[in-house]
Amino acid sequence: MHNPHPGLPELDYVKPASLEEASRFLVEHAGEARPFLGGTDCIVRIRDGAWTAKYMVDVKGLEGMKDLSFDPQKGLTIGAAVPMNKVAADPAVQQHYPGLVEACHWVASYQLRSRATIVGNICNASPAGDTIGASILYGGVLRVFGPQGFREVPLDGFFKGPGKTTLQPGDIAASISFPLSHPQHACRYLKLGRNKLGDLAIVGVTVMAVPARTPSGYHFGIVLASVAPVPLRAAAAEAILESKEIDEAVIAEAAQAAMDGCKPINDTRGGAAYRKQMVRNLTRNGLMDVWTKVRK
Amino acid sequence: MSYHRITLKVNGSLEVVDISGNMTLLQMLREKLALTGTKNGCASGECGACTVLMNGDAVNSCMVLAAECDGAEIITVEGLAKNGEMDVVQKTLVDLGAVQCGFCTPGVLISARALLNRNPHPTEFEIRDALSGNLCRCTGYNRIVEAVKVAAEIEGQEGA
Amino acid sequence: MAIAQASTSSVVGKSVKRIDVQEKVTGAAQYTDDIAFGNALHHCRVKRSPHPHALIKKINYDKALLIPGVKLVVTGEDFPEYVGLYLQDRNIFARDRVRFVGEGVAAVVASTEEIAEKALDAIDVEYELLQPVLDPEFGASKEAPIIHPDLEKYEHPNFIFPVNGTNMANHFKIRKGDTEAAWPQCAAIVEHTFRIPQVQHVPIEPHVAIAKAEENGQVTLWASTQSPFAQRALLAKSLHIPESDFRVIAPLIGGGFGCKAGVTMEAIPVAAALKLKGVPIKLLLTREEEFYTNFVRQGLVIKLKVGCDKDGNLLAMENTMYWDGGAYTEYGVNVTRAGGYSSTGPYDIPNMRTDSICVYTNHPVGGAYRGFGMAELHTGVGQIMDMLADKIGMDRTEFHLRNCVRGGDVLATGMVIHEVGLPECIDKVARALKLGEKEAPSAPNKLRGKGIALAWKAPAMPPNAGSSALVKMNADGTVNVSVGGQELGQGTFTAMAQIAAESLGVPYEAVKVLGPIDTRYSPYEWQTVASRLTWSMGNAVRNAALDAKKKILDIVAEAWNEKPEDLDIKDGYVISYKTEESIEIKDFVVYGLPKADDQGWLGGPIVGAGSFMPTYVTGLDAETGQGERAVVHYTTGAQGLDIEIDKDTGRITVLYAASAFDVGKAINPDMVRQQMEGGFVQGLSSAMFEECQLVGGEMRNPSFVDYRIATAIDVPEKIDTFIVETAQDDGPFGARGIGEHPLVPVIAALANAIYDATGVRITNPPFSAEKIYMALLEAGVVN
Repeated sequence: MHNPHPGLPELDYVKPASLEEASRFLVEHAGEARPFLGGTDCIVRIRDGAWTAKYMVDVKGLEGMKDLSFDPQKGLTIGAAVPMNKVAADPAVQQHYPGLVEACHWVASYQLRSRATIVGNICNASPAGDTIGASILYGGVLRVFGPQGFREVPLDGFFKGPGKTTLQPGDIAASISFPLSHPQHACRYLKLGRNKLGDLAIVGVTVMAVPARTPSGYHFGIVLASVAPVPLRAAAAEAILESKEIDEAVIAEAAQAAMDGCKPINDTRGGAAYRKQMVRNLTRNGLMDVWTKVRK
Repeated sequence: MSYHRITLKVNGSLEVVDISGNMTLLQMLREKLALTGTKNGCASGECGACTVLMNGDAVNSCMVLAAECDGAEIITVEGLAKNGEMDVVQKTLVDLGAVQCGFCTPGVLISARALLNRNPHPTEFEIRDALSGNLCRCTGYNRIVEAVKVAAEIEGQEGA
Repeated sequence: MAIAQASTSSVVGKSVKRIDVQEKVTGAAQYTDDIAFGNALHHCRVKRSPHPHALIKKINYDKALLIPGVKLVVTGEDFPEYVGLYLQDRNIFARDRVRFVGEGVAAVVASTEEIAEKALDAIDVEYELLQPVLDPEFGASKEAPIIHPDLEKYEHPNFIFPVNGTNMANHFKIRKGDTEAAWPQCAAIVEHTFRIPQVQHVPIEPHVAIAKAEENGQVTLWASTQSPFAQRALLAKSLHIPESDFRVIAPLIGGGFGCKAGVTMEAIPVAAALKLKGVPIKLLLTREEEFYTNFVRQGLVIKLKVGCDKDGNLLAMENTMYWDGGAYTEYGVNVTRAGGYSSTGPYDIPNMRTDSICVYTNHPVGGAYRGFGMAELHTGVGQIMDMLADKIGMDRTEFHLRNCVRGGDVLATGMVIHEVGLPECIDKVARALKLGEKEAPSAPNKLRGKGIALAWKAPAMPPNAGSSALVKMNADGTVNVSVGGQELGQGTFTAMAQIAAESLGVPYEAVKVLGPIDTRYSPYEWQTVASRLTWSMGNAVRNAALDAKKKILDIVAEAWNEKPEDLDIKDGYVISYKTEESIEIKDFVVYGLPKADDQGWLGGPIVGAGSFMPTYVTGLDAETGQGERAVVHYTTGAQGLDIEIDKDTGRITVLYAASAFDVGKAINPDMVRQQMEGGFVQGLSSAMFEECQLVGGEMRNPSFVDYRIATAIDVPEKIDTFIVETAQDDGPFGARGIGEHPLVPVIAALANAIYDATGVRITNPPFSAEKIYMALLEAGVVN
């Protein structure tokens, strides 16, 4: 019986003065303390009783967390506390990382995106996380501050299951960096929810085409949301596209491979059989979109 | 549980408030500042009835801890009217019959105000998109959308 | 002068602005949860059953009482009496057994909500699990375990027919003509079973109630409620409080749609308050509790068989309905009665056999929901009529027009129906939609189609549900009208002000109808349900205004030595048609008129009183459902949609929708349109998205995360509404209700549009993208 609290249970709001202090606190209270960014997952889960945090450690004010910077040589860095609306409204992001903008736009509602962050979306590791696919395909690397100081954590292998990542107690993801994108790339995020906007994904498909020395002249990347315990790379489909000239039949073949390569579950949002079909159709439509776009 | 004393600006007035660590911005507005125009519909960031402007941006106040609001500037539905003159979105919601039970109305007004602040000439899609986080069970939405459209036109004329 | 201008203007039929709008756009409007009670306020939380069906062996709350801040724990032991609107089958807390997941077994009162919540974990309840009933057809069978062994002892009115020794809480029957003899005459027959799931009302304001009992015996309940008087009556009886000592205060409410009618969670703080006097005790439901602990719209399994002759004239229908009444059917039994007496839908069918059966199950409790059984009934009837039209090979619109009810028809209950404008409604919607014209979809991967469905609904209520009103004149010429009906957002305060102004002869602006409703000061109203206020309370207000007018004219007639018949009130002035003399009413309606030469006074403060109760509704025979007049009247209408379906996902986009309803007389046309638009969208939301996903009796999606409703982006950009006015003989200015009706035909109309677009008949809502896609896949429309 789903019966959450009317409000949040008793807890301490903690606002450390530095990353060191925050990390130390999280280590000392491992299992009871949570780093707190936009709170849009955190507050819901603590109210639900799914998380039993006694301490919410507000790291938003710490150094660099609220910065968004673009360097034409190095690329983009988004602080962990930068809300999605700010990312989506940034001209440099719009120009160089349009797939990230599109993904942000699909998350919940405007007022939720005023608080929700991309780094938060990644660290919460929901298989349905809308911005994860684009973050992977743009080559996002997390900058994590832990008990041993800063380290870089690529998203490959980062996700371990629903809500599970390689982050350890004391780790604070401070920002995510993306290398400069190729000017001729194309990226799309196609999401199917029950409502046209605002819902969690029944299926989400991020596809990207980047110029490369392949038979088609492009690399293709495909990441699937809501069809596996973690964001799922459609490797078989990518391999097909890597090795062939692209036409509608090859795209259909790749889409079929994406469908065959996933084993989604039945849940309240959708059935497994439907999800598989949607993986195929949305992958096909997404690939057609990016293929049309890069050839223009 | 931790307790905090915070200072913030609400509808233009400076306020000093004592709050507990688990208190949300929504609870603080309603219970500490008697600003009950902002409504609690779900306590989980889904219905939008608690939408307020926080530092100029629309947020679900049930998804913000009060403790985070030290130094913040908050505008609620009670703060939309200026010098006794209703905001143009308030007027157009009235004029176009876009209010029934009125419970979602405060959140709708704030979302609409935030939209017009960042995008003075929204398309119909942009209006519907911006309002998609405000659930309404009475009106069927179209009159609200129309009211925002008309408000944008009026503000466009006033600005010109 | 002012009088001459006013004589030509009429405020009835004008779209004046709603009376309660200023406070609603400024945040000043006070809803129940907004009332401040100060430091004395205590909070209540409820210990709920995690099981759908179990015996309660033991409740131990000793540990809960030791928690600092906990003041009181109450259980079913403390409150043995039943409560219920029609069939009194429910206790305030479960006593010997629990019958649904979420049922209250105990409540904690504490100084804060957090402490009360914490104390719930310290209450131990020992259960012995019983086999649950999770399907209404099984529940009606002999094999099913009995959920209410005491059914035969429950009090109920004489129009409810429980079947003792079964789970059938009501069995309503119609036997008209001879269906068996009619089938061989039919050129086409269609049979189909439709299933409609439980859905939730989803007012944006959750239920909230605060109760306080005083040492002197006074009890006050502040509640977000559609039914302050019914709550007073039912709780007063169950808790042995004189009605005169029981005060219910009902501020504005943030949406009701039926779930705030009757009594539900309000009973809990009242019961607790009786055990902890002197402090206000508040219970505010979480959104999650809102979903599964309160009334749901009942699920329905409807088995239909219908046939027509070769020309498309309907000859016979058999309609068997198994309603999933849930754990208690105190209110729901009357939904199933309404489903029964309206079971033909708005069609003229000479031979009819109906069995409408309300079945106890271990599901959430069924209750009133906008439409009161009609949306569920019409989901079946509205589809099967299209199916039959197709089978006999007749144009669907022509088929509806040929068979729809018309004034003078003898209905399935034997009642002769008044004049209705249903054919005009069908015509208006068919034209607006260009029904029958196939239009091209917007893209190659889309399918486009149109559908229409008809609707009818009568106010469903006891035959003698009454209304009353007071019209109080003020010395500045303004008028206060007191009513007991609630402003839910439907605009009733505005409509009542219009009726009062028009009837009395004063400017609309002079009349105020305001809340909160307060049973101590407001006049009686049965409940704000059934789309009955404009009609019933409107009659009471009109009568009260006419009473005040008569009193005013009598005074002036005496003063002027004229006959009252020669006088009238226009725009706030009494005028004489004979002498053309006039006097402003504010000059005397409180302080009276001086007689000539200072020889005393005439009149005094004017208060008009009025009431209304239909006296002409008769009983129906228990075996045949036949009687003189089953209901007061029917509001009828039609609705249609033009849709597109995406073949890649199955998702529907509604391009356009049109509704037409015969409201008798639109007191406020713009607010009638608001009801048509909002009701349509609520119906559309239920048709596309909504379902309480019940697994083993537990709702799997009790939050907005997984119970989705339509948002601004999901609704058609264009919705047209048409008002048809065929005057109602017993309605004020000819008016009848419109609040519920626009929701009634939507599911069937959408299903018909889906069929038109795809050639695949998908009968059971919600028509989710998944359901449509998988059906298209199975049918080979997509691959």
